[in-house]
Amino acid sequence: MSDFIQVATTSDIPDPGTMVLELEEKILVLVHLDGQYYCLDDVCTHDGGPLADGSLEGCELICPRHGARFDVRTGEALTMPATEATSVHEVKVDGDDLFVRIVET
Amino acid sequence: MIESTIKTGFTGAEFDLFLESRSEPDWLLERRRESWDRFETLSWPSRQDEEWIRTDIRLFKLDRFSLPIESSTACEPDTPLLSEGVELAGQSISVNSQSALCTQSDSLASQGVLFGSLSELLQEHGELVRELLSRRSLDAGSDRFAALNDACWSGGHLLYVPRGVALKEPIHLHSIIADGGVDLAQTMIVLEDGASATVLAEMTSQGDGQPGLHCGSLEMMLGAGANLRYINLQNWSDTTWHFARHHATLGQDASLQWTSAAMGSRLSKVNQHVTLAGKGANCQVNGVLFTEGKQHLSYHTLQHHKAPGCKSDFLYKSALQDRSRTVWRGMIKVDPAGQQTDGYQRNDNLLLSDKARADSIPGLEIEADDVRCTHGSTSSQVDEEMIFYATCRGLTRGEAVRLIVSGFFQQIFDRISIDSVRDALAEAIARRVREFE
Repeated sequence: MSDFIQVATTSDIPDPGTMVLELEEKILVLVHLDGQYYCLDDVCTHDGGPLADGSLEGCELICPRHGARFDVRTGEALTMPATEATSVHEVKVDGDDLFVRIVET
Repeated sequence: MIESTIKTGFTGAEFDLFLESRSEPDWLLERRRESWDRFETLSWPSRQDEEWIRTDIRLFKLDRFSLPIESSTACEPDTPLLSEGVELAGQSISVNSQSALCTQSDSLASQGVLFGSLSELLQEHGELVRELLSRRSLDAGSDRFAALNDACWSGGHLLYVPRGVALKEPIHLHSIIADGGVDLAQTMIVLEDGASATVLAEMTSQGDGQPGLHCGSLEMMLGAGANLRYINLQNWSDTTWHFARHHATLGQDASLQWTSAAMGSRLSKVNQHVTLAGKGANCQVNGVLFTEGKQHLSYHTLQHHKAPGCKSDFLYKSALQDRSRTVWRGMIKVDPAGQQTDGYQRNDNLLLSDKARADSIPGLEIEADDVRCTHGSTSSQVDEEMIFYATCRGLTRGEAVRLIVSGFFQQIFDRISIDSVRDALAEAIARRVREFE
């Protein structure tokens, strides 16, 4: 398993809000919601499109292309047309710094 | 940490240095500058563009590469696959966009054939090269990659076969990316009326596994009654970015058999267009895609019928392992003048993993009323009953899968008339098929 890597500071993302980042040859979306941070692959499992351009409704991130919804906490696909979860990664907060560790699936 | 910049090799200052190193005529330098201006004006393709909607290039960083200004990396080319055991009329090898070797039989020159590095032939045959470049159909302004290639092309190969000349032995083109280099080739194959040739083209990587970049173009121009067999093996390393535009124009009664096998690269985005411009032209395009790991290969084909009585037959077959992905988007376009067109396109996908993904999007755009145009697409996994049948006869599961994959591609291999080339392609694919549970 890879190490935690510092990717941003807490002030970089409003609450609620999202931020796109590149880490270890992956494009990820970092979500700030109700004081918690989550990290997902920036990939809609329906057609491979980017999720980060979509809107955040509660704990659901909505794909801008076809409306698939993903739970930012688990990556679970909540609605059609997506049927598979998108990958989620570990996030750690240390002071003002945000760290992400890639979880390979 | 988040991405860091390693090189800034595609700046205006570097481009000026690149031009200074070229010793090229003013007309070409002017053309390059125009394309560079377009390159600087254009943005990278947007994820909103239909053509790029399934291909994410956000991790592609041009500033990690450099313009091919310095002399070629010293490199002993690996033994090519396609030309092994084949008696060749000529061979042109480039390394990192610089010509490394060019050999040809005496008979080529005596027949008026021009063959070799496009950059070097430009020095000796400037006016002819200028005229050939002016006949190109590829649009240097179609996107930022096309503009980059037209501004910064280096190396590449040229085969020019005069009217009525038939090359008995094949030509071999070998492009190598070594140690994270770039290949910005423009390759041209021009067969004048009644000429014929066979070309074997191969792309390989050598060295330390650093990411490489190919941003290239291929233009084939066939005069009336010309006949070309073109076989291409794209076998870059899986860290190489591959962006290419390929275009063939066929004159009256010209015939093209184009076989394209793609197994390498991290990400490929290829536009492959054939324009049937003369009455009775005939083209057959065969594609073999074999992917593994997280490779992403995207092919966009167009068979454009501009003249009556032409035939086009496109068959693409993909086999996908692991988490790899292919995108095939094909279009048959028939102009009002293209009556009695016979167009066919098909894409078959064999998914060897439940994580692999194949997108297949055939299309028709027909403006004539007396045509036959058909298309089809299939996607499936390996049939467990076929594996069971094979294992009952003593094969392991891995052997059974290899056999089934070979059989899947056999329809295309059967269309290759050079035995050694057919065997080389089959062997290259068989080597990559792993065992699956």
